Amino acid sequence: MIRLDNVSWRRGKKESGPVLAHLSFAVPQGGFRWLLGPSGAGKSSLLSLLHLENLPTDGQMTILGKTVAQDEKRAALVRLRHRIGMVHQDYQLMPDLSVADNVALPLRLQNRPEDEIQDEVHAILKWVGLGERVDVPATRLSGGEQQRTAIARAIIHRPGLVLADEPTNALEESQACRLLDMFAELSAMGTTVIVATHNESLVRRLERPFLFLERGRLVEEGDAQA
Amino acid sequence: MTRPFSGRKDGLSLSEALPDRSLFALVAMMGFLAALTLAGASGARALSARWSGGAAQLLTIQVPDANAPLAAQGGGSATTTRVQAVLADLASLPDGTEVHQLTPPELARLLEPWLGETDSSALPLPAIIRVKLPPDASVPATLEQALSTHVPGTIMEHNARWGERLRALANSLLACAGLALLSVGGIATMITGLATRTGLASRKDIIKTLHGLGASDSYIAGRFAWRTATLGFGGGLSGTLMACLPLLLLLQMAAPFASVPLTTPERLLPQNWQALANTIPSDMLCALALLPFVAAFICWFTTQVMVRLWLLRLP
Repeated sequence: MIRLDNVSWRRGKKESGPVLAHLSFAVPQGGFRWLLGPSGAGKSSLLSLLHLENLPTDGQMTILGKTVAQDEKRAALVRLRHRIGMVHQDYQLMPDLSVADNVALPLRLQNRPEDEIQDEVHAILKWVGLGERVDVPATRLSGGEQQRTAIARAIIHRPGLVLADEPTNALEESQACRLLDMFAELSAMGTTVIVATHNESLVRRLERPFLFLERGRLVEEGDAQA
Repeated sequence: MTRPFSGRKDGLSLSEALPDRSLFALVAMMGFLAALTLAGASGARALSARWSGGAAQLLTIQVPDANAPLAAQGGGSATTTRVQAVLADLASLPDGTEVHQLTPPELARLLEPWLGETDSSALPLPAIIRVKLPPDASVPATLEQALSTHVPGTIMEHNARWGERLRALANSLLACAGLALLSVGGIATMITGLATRTGLASRKDIIKTLHGLGASDSYIAGRFAWRTATLGFGGGLSGTLMACLPLLLLLQMAAPFASVPLTTPERLLPQNWQALANTIPSDMLCALALLPFVAAFICWFTTQVMVRLWLLRLP
């Protein structure tokens, strides 16, 4: 369950205007939301907030059932972040690591047994269609492969919430559709999914509720984008 | 199934991120300096202890014209020599006092640095009497006066006077060594801090990604700290080993002042090095053995603090 009540966030000094202002919405567990809006509307900032990279300066935010205080302890944030998967616009893969090692990172950070990690990694890479690319260094992957690796890394630890920032940017239409199916599948399995995009054709293809941001404010919240 | 991952693969690649060779070399230099300083401090402490202990209880008495009959200069028996008269006077010192007149060979050895191995019997040398008082005894206030009255020309030197000065000197050397060690530690801290900062700057994005994936502060700080601690240990060990040769040479030079002197003239032969090594005080050996661990701890602690402070910038 994700809930924001009148949440604002400003960068730096209080005199500067808020990047996000008075946001209120809720997403139930297993829900899917498109996050829409023009460039600079605050989509990435909202995802950063939900990923706990920033904390609200005003209002109350509940992530996966836990209310996050403005002075939340770092250890508590780390624990909560373990339950969130994030797919960044620029993938943020580790260039020195192979596909498998990149995907294994969240599990390694949770000190899971190595045998278990191997099984999980191979299963998830097969699911995203990278079963034959296990040992390939991340730098040698195509844009689509990097994107799928980033998604595999974001979901390998079975997070309760998956956030994706413009995940189809570098993808061809067919790859983007495959990606959408994956997100839909995740949502159907009970994971809350929020995907920021400005790809309207993609949104039309998967009709799901949406949040529309403009200048840091939520201007529209709808059931499905027609 | 092959294992595509092994070891700690988290993308930090600290062996490439940190200036490994520089940190290792600089910590080795600091270790070298610290080892020499520790040796100096240990020597100063031993000297201080020695002078405040046994040497302060020593008296040295010189009797010129030692074998001349005392009667010729005073009213004593014609058969008593001046040195015998002094030895008789010294018999009244407290029980447990050791009185020893240096034999001609002992005297020759004492003068060897100035006279060489030439026959010194032709020289009018005074008799030298070494007196060692028991630990709790003090020199009678009237002894010097009584000796010079009874046997004119007798000179008495109380080592305690020199001992006080040498003890003050040794204490000031100890203080200097302490300051030098603090400086070396401070420099090692700064070097480690700079190396850590370089590593953090070059791995900024990767750390942010790891942080986003749920890496705790202690994980990231620990990864950096163990790397610098390993380098610090290696550097400290190398520096200490490098210092061993000059230390043995210095020890050999100081051997005449040591409690276990080396008597063989072929001092630099390997078999004597073994004997020389045996003369190294145990506290100095312990300090030298601890040096790599202290270097590792300084590196580990500095890096932990630096990385944790840096991570505070991240939410």
